[in-house]
Amino acid sequence: MSEARNITLLIAACIVIVAGCVFIGPTFINPLHADDISLQIVTAIRLPRVVVALLMGAALGASGAVLQGILRNPLADPYILGISSGAALFAAVGLLGGSTIFSRLTVPALAFTGAVFTGAVVGAMGYRRGGIWPERLLLAGVGLGFLFYALIMLLLSLSTDEGLRRAILWIFGDLSMADWAMIPYGLFFILSGLVLSLWRAKGLNALMLGDEIAHSLGFSPRKERLILFVAVSLMTASSVSLGGIVGFVGLLMPHIIRFIVGADSRVLIPLAALSGGTLLCVADTIGRTAVAPMELPSGIVTALIGAPYFLYLLRKQDILGEQ
Amino acid sequence: MDILELQKISFSYGEDGFIADLSLSVCGGRLTGIIGANGSGKSTILKLASGILKPRAGTVKLWGRDIQLYRGKDRAKLVSYLPQMLDISVPFRVKELISMGLYPYDIMPELSPEEAVAMVGLEDKLYSPIGELSGGERRRVFIAMTLLQGAGILLLDEPLANLDIKYQMEFIRLLKELRDRKDISVVMAMHDISLASQFDHLYVIRQGKVMASGSPDEIITPALLKDAFDVDVKVYRQDNNTFFIGY
Repeated sequence: MSEARNITLLIAACIVIVAGCVFIGPTFINPLHADDISLQIVTAIRLPRVVVALLMGAALGASGAVLQGILRNPLADPYILGISSGAALFAAVGLLGGSTIFSRLTVPALAFTGAVFTGAVVGAMGYRRGGIWPERLLLAGVGLGFLFYALIMLLLSLSTDEGLRRAILWIFGDLSMADWAMIPYGLFFILSGLVLSLWRAKGLNALMLGDEIAHSLGFSPRKERLILFVAVSLMTASSVSLGGIVGFVGLLMPHIIRFIVGADSRVLIPLAALSGGTLLCVADTIGRTAVAPMELPSGIVTALIGAPYFLYLLRKQDILGEQ
Repeated sequence: MDILELQKISFSYGEDGFIADLSLSVCGGRLTGIIGANGSGKSTILKLASGILKPRAGTVKLWGRDIQLYRGKDRAKLVSYLPQMLDISVPFRVKELISMGLYPYDIMPELSPEEAVAMVGLEDKLYSPIGELSGGERRRVFIAMTLLQGAGILLLDEPLANLDIKYQMEFIRLLKELRDRKDISVVMAMHDISLASQFDHLYVIRQGKVMASGSPDEIITPALLKDAFDVDVKVYRQDNNTFFIGY
């Protein structure tokens, strides 16, 4: 069947592309004739960066697919709940207070704490009468996001500390600080979020038909939404703390993947994760290669590659399901 | 036997009592119609009957047991509910959507998605995105999903709204077929009563109360319709069919 073929092709393409990203860069490294220095470049610089890009992109792709379902809103992206602004604010405040307790991991650790804290506050504000209400959640996230963003801008305006400025810029998207030390933490939280999402994928499918039909199929819509919200918060928080805020992947990758393989979350979530990770790998490779030794932020590249393709699909086919 | 009973139900959305002391029962293997004007409480009654809403007082009994005591999956195998608005936020394909009817089950039941879609006459649309289907076809896709769900009681809220008379007739024919072939009991809320005579039993609801109940012959009378809908009608009967004309 064509769907199985599409899925196989997609997975194969992702694997080949990701493998290619390890060897392509400012200098091309031939895997068959690599010397010691080349091997060191691969293991110490490129491989951790590719792994971080894969993890971040996977978290964003999967989070987008889940959030669009639980909020029943095709415009939802992982940052819509204010989690990214919370991450940036915590990192900024912590650094301003001179906190360097985790040395290199200080910024990611602060960002993660801020993201989880924001997720919890937004969740608490969206919680009423035994469950999460999508409209409340969305408005709480947008409101808190604006507040945190304003506070970040305030700090930036008043700050003369160069380190703090750099930390905040990092939050807005930069994979160049990727190293092996941060990967185990990211891997743990992102995998946990992915496993939670896949565990509740049937509930997510049912939620997309409306709460009443989900109830009729035997699910508790509020409970399903709560579990999936926790999964999304974990994945988004980890992604932001690994390499900052990268746009496009979480918003539009789920739509593209739905067009290729259908809307069943059990297939969509893993494939949105895989393709989101691959896209970010490609974007990062282009970003560090195209104008080397300078770097382009990955978020710009993902949008430059992805947006035209998405607009092409939108024009060619009905991908939002309207008549 | 009564497979679904609403016993002395009270419910309100706000402070004022909306449904008070309402009792209603559904017999197995019958098409039951709930008729009443807009805002009379038909949809609320169906949501209470499906367990979506919890009554403030009284009990909803499904096969003799309080519906709130069932586990979600067990309840889903006995009763299914389709709301008036079938609002889908993503472009599922027909087969994906129908297959969700299997979610309450850990093992595959006898009916397959292919058989379910054939029963509603949409076998050639199995791989179509739901967005490409007409309103009537979408409704039938959801019916196929509930067939796979295997529930013996089907609660339908205004399924005929926005359908042409041809599709309304087709839909009623499908429900009768399900009743006769699969012993499915249907409870359907409707404000348009032009097809009410096709049902086995009718309840007339006004302001959250059961105003009358009985066979279509007993219910479709000028006096009752005047009371329930505030309209003047003439009723004609011919060959076991009931017709009425408003004037």
